[in-house]
Amino acid sequence: MLKWTKLGKVFDPAAYTGRPWMAEFAQAPCALVLNDCVRVYFSCRPVPDANGQYISYSAFVDLDRNDLRTVRQVSQQPVLEPGGIGTFDEFGTYPVSVIRNGDSIRAYYGGWTRCESVPFDVAIGVADSSDGGITFQKRGHGPVLASSVDEPFVLSGPKIRRWNDRWVLYYIAGRKWIVANNRPEPVYRIRMAVSDNGLDWTRSNRDLIEARIEPDEAQASPDVFHDGHKYHMFFCYRFSTDYRGRARGYRIGYASSDDGTNWVRDDSRAGLDVSDVGWDSEMVSYPHVFQLDGTTYMMYLGNGVGRHGFGLAVLEGSL
Amino acid sequence: MTWRKLGRIYDPVRTPSLPNCTEFAQSPQALVFDSFVRIYFCTRERDSRSGKFLSHVSFVDMSPDLRSIIRTAERSVLKPGDTGCFDEHGIFPINVLRVNDRIRGYTTGWSRRVSVSVETSIGLVVSHDDGETFERIGPGPVLTRSLFEPCLVGDGFVQHWNGTFHMWYIFGLPWKQFPDSHQPERIYKIGHVTSSDGIHWSQQSGRQIVSDVLGDDECQALPTVIHRNGRYQMWFCYRYASDFRTNPERGYRLGYAHSDDLITWTRDDREAGIDVSPDADDWDSRMMCYPHAFHCHGLTYLLYNGNEFGRYGFGAAVMDD
Repeated sequence: MLKWTKLGKVFDPAAYTGRPWMAEFAQAPCALVLNDCVRVYFSCRPVPDANGQYISYSAFVDLDRNDLRTVRQVSQQPVLEPGGIGTFDEFGTYPVSVIRNGDSIRAYYGGWTRCESVPFDVAIGVADSSDGGITFQKRGHGPVLASSVDEPFVLSGPKIRRWNDRWVLYYIAGRKWIVANNRPEPVYRIRMAVSDNGLDWTRSNRDLIEARIEPDEAQASPDVFHDGHKYHMFFCYRFSTDYRGRARGYRIGYASSDDGTNWVRDDSRAGLDVSDVGWDSEMVSYPHVFQLDGTTYMMYLGNGVGRHGFGLAVLEGSL
Repeated sequence: MTWRKLGRIYDPVRTPSLPNCTEFAQSPQALVFDSFVRIYFCTRERDSRSGKFLSHVSFVDMSPDLRSIIRTAERSVLKPGDTGCFDEHGIFPINVLRVNDRIRGYTTGWSRRVSVSVETSIGLVVSHDDGETFERIGPGPVLTRSLFEPCLVGDGFVQHWNGTFHMWYIFGLPWKQFPDSHQPERIYKIGHVTSSDGIHWSQQSGRQIVSDVLGDDECQALPTVIHRNGRYQMWFCYRYASDFRTNPERGYRLGYAHSDDLITWTRDDREAGIDVSPDADDWDSRMMCYPHAFHCHGLTYLLYNGNEFGRYGFGAAVMDD
């Protein structure tokens, strides 16, 4: 088992005012290492509307490179505009995954629309930044990866990677909606697609990680890290229903692979679980692993799936 | 080029097919058999939960000269889509064709939305019983919105020529709010993609292949393409983007374009060969839409809908060469 030492919560959006689009939540952290700081992209929400519905925005916080527990600045505005009326990302941009692409920075993100019979659908969009990742311009009004014959809805949670000039996108795809307590809940699994240009994708059309805790297990945040020898995936998983508490809520899983495509799941190795008390005592989710100056870190969400921010852990030893 | 009208050939009010579907026979599309022509169309029932319409696929078998009804479908041709899927709230239209003796259909599935009324995508269904019923190849679509075609992909019409599948279809531009509308309105244009298997299609470029005559906001729908007299011919329908439902001056008309290479299309509506009937009482006097051209036993026919988008059925015309 890996040994992570928790450093606690490093960012809580409620501590920052003057940003009505960031009242709560800092979900799905994603790191971009800059010269003097680590820019962490996350997704947040203003207060819900009169019907209790949220719109997600994506933003960033710069953490001091020499002390990741010190916040240097928070973005003054969201990094992406919501889409126009009737487009796939009209009702939110969440989550976001960024990568350097030559002189610019490329973001892949989940775009949210609202439906009648089910609450939402999600497709994956793409946008580029030419100002160092402060704002992103969409490549088009539509998604770069949307539903297909085998992936009928809820394509979300993109994690973009590039190895040997090949773009690889890990993401989740919905497989069915189930109704629990009169509320439709999507069941989704981890998938992948590859591309030569980052825009035209070839999907593997199969679930990468087999379900473990129940047949309708939901999986999210397929965060893949290559350490030069092997591919490591940290992800989160939960029960399909009644998952908003400790018993059936999100936990962090682990899988490894020699080729990035065929994976062996071994959650016992993940090494990061809920705490007995505190901000991450009910659930841990949306892991993101990155290296900085020779040290391996994991950012992750705690109770309420990031409602009160995200935290940090440091790996003792190596992967 | 002149189409000679044969009049309205099917009226769903007089000869309903499916139970609970007593109006609408939209977007007629033909599959020619030896002794009859099966005409698929979409009919509507009221959704008991929402009061909104649900479109279902049905068919009527007609004599090869399209003058008499032989039979209507007795049961649903295609089950509704699953919860949350692109075709959960109905299918409209369906384009059916034979490929290597197998019958397949390209559906347009409807999914209701909150800020706008609907989103659509194109699905693929196959038949194992000579076109009586169809099954989906999967729960999701084969063509949907993409980077440069952001919404409302639908109206797929497919031909399989020289081993290549060609699909003409429509894609939406961002929805637009007009001063004379209470709700956002759609604007769509005709596109073209190709495929070797009819499932995986070439990149959707966002290029509209037929020029506008009503300005940038012209809506173009339901392309149908045949090869005739050494040239590719396309009919489609077009209208203004707003105030088109009841204002006959702004409603659907049939347009026409031709091509020699399937890449460059020349629009020339004067050559469409057909127009609304001059007598105000006629079934196709105020609107013409959803054309479908096909060859049948040596003749070329055009099926289409008239007033009120096909609420009272569809008619036909035959090409007089």
